[in-house]
Amino acid sequence: MRFIRSVSDVFGYSPFEDLRKHAELIAKAVGLLEKQFEAYRRNEMDEVERLRDEIDELEHKADLIKEEIRGKVTSSLLLSVDRHDLLHFLEVQDGIINYCEHVGHMLTFRRIKAPERIMDEFGILLSKLMETINEYEELIDHMSKLIASSFSKREVKRALDYVKRVETYEHECDLIQIGLLNMLFNSKMDPIDVYLAVLWVVHLGEIANYTARSADRFRIMILGRR
Amino acid sequence: MILTILAGLYMAWNIGANDAANSMATSYGSKALTLKQVIIVGVLLEFCGAFLFGQRVTHTIAKGIVPVDTLDPNLVILGALSALISAGIFITVATYYHLPISTSHSIVAAMLGFGLAVVSQGKMDINEIGWDVMTKIVLSWILSPIFGAVLAFTTFTIVRLILFERFDVESVEGVFRYLQVLTACYVAFAHGSNDVANATGPIAAALGYMGKEAPVWVLFIGALGISVGFATWGYRVIETVGKKITELTFTRGFSAEFATATTVLLASYLGMPISTTHTLVGSVIGVGLAGGISSVNLKIIQRIVASWLLTVPIACILSIAIYTILVIFV
Repeated sequence: MRFIRSVSDVFGYSPFEDLRKHAELIAKAVGLLEKQFEAYRRNEMDEVERLRDEIDELEHKADLIKEEIRGKVTSSLLLSVDRHDLLHFLEVQDGIINYCEHVGHMLTFRRIKAPERIMDEFGILLSKLMETINEYEELIDHMSKLIASSFSKREVKRALDYVKRVETYEHECDLIQIGLLNMLFNSKMDPIDVYLAVLWVVHLGEIANYTARSADRFRIMILGRR
Repeated sequence: MILTILAGLYMAWNIGANDAANSMATSYGSKALTLKQVIIVGVLLEFCGAFLFGQRVTHTIAKGIVPVDTLDPNLVILGALSALISAGIFITVATYYHLPISTSHSIVAAMLGFGLAVVSQGKMDINEIGWDVMTKIVLSWILSPIFGAVLAFTTFTIVRLILFERFDVESVEGVFRYLQVLTACYVAFAHGSNDVANATGPIAAALGYMGKEAPVWVLFIGALGISVGFATWGYRVIETVGKKITELTFTRGFSAEFATATTVLLASYLGMPISTTHTLVGSVIGVGLAGGISSVNLKIIQRIVASWLLTVPIACILSIAIYTILVIFV
């Protein structure tokens, strides 16, 4: 609209809502991964492939948000957190969904034959992963409270508690992974099946690792404020 | 003379339509007031501020820059008219291009242009221009946004350290919702008291009043012009600007408004014609520096400084040109 002089230009682009959307896509992707694995167990390979494509799409959407944030967070913005901390955090958060994409593809490579107890253990790992990512999403959602309170001590402490819980879940994922690897290497499965299953374990582990690392970067970001 | 008053009214209308609306948009943006309430508060308190407290700045613009008492009254009328016309044209064009210019800066520069034109006519010595007053005015332009920023920073820091640490954020915001209604009134009053002079200063100069007090009816006209501008165009500006300022919560809006109004009212008391909009921008940056706003665009500082550098020469030269034309043809 013409004939308007406005003070609203003083408000810059705030990346936090987009960061939340980015995290939301990641949580969705992990949820789809769990579904994909269940479909794999039921031997519904069409569904497995459809879910792979869906995860790919989420990863692409997340990339677009990432690019948008990177393009808009310029040095002329006075942000409530350090710009480099924020971009570093985003980089790690984006890593989570990249690994989801990898695993999504790996489930379509080959039908493996594995004992039920091993497949059950994968189910347990995936549900623990889901718990980890849910806790992580709560942490990211907490950003709005941090901003509303201008990072009051109470809200910062709550955020740090979330980070600790994410780290605990990640450790539990680690233990399940170790157990799974042990089972796999001591099974009488076909060696190629073992190899692929080990890749699954390692990459699912990376999802948990990146989630914990991202939570850590979040902690660094909110503690490293001006 | 009638033309001068009409040009003054156009100026006042402009001030009400854009500047007043910008200062009040924060209250609408944070939803402390509805659009209707903002307009009622704005119209009433802008009027009160202008009418009751507009004397000192009016005097500065009328007599501080050009010593009008020593000049031929007919020349002063032409000068005041050319200052109002040139500032009016400049403001209209700049507003069209969304430039963050200030009406106060425009009229001060235009009055200076009138003074310089009289000097070039050989009817006044260049030293007779109120350079000391000009220096003070320019200094007040630089200091007012900084002062607003410091005050807003302090206010919001107090809110943050004392209230946010002890109480629930939601309940603090709830209390400030009502406090922000008060600061909204405060801003409107302060704005009226300072910016009315941009319209009434030249009119008062043209009237050639005695002493330090311009006739009351001049202020009445200015106050009326602002209120009408606010009611007829200001609401559209408030709607547009307010929609973009949703990030200001009640505590942030309160801090920015309190700092702005205090700075502007202080300037009115000192008789300094400053920009309310620039002070408000300074105050918002102050709240941002205190950690109250998730993202402040610092490029606006460059734009504001550029607008200063643009406004003064253009409004000044335009005023010289219009004055020269009027002197030749009238």
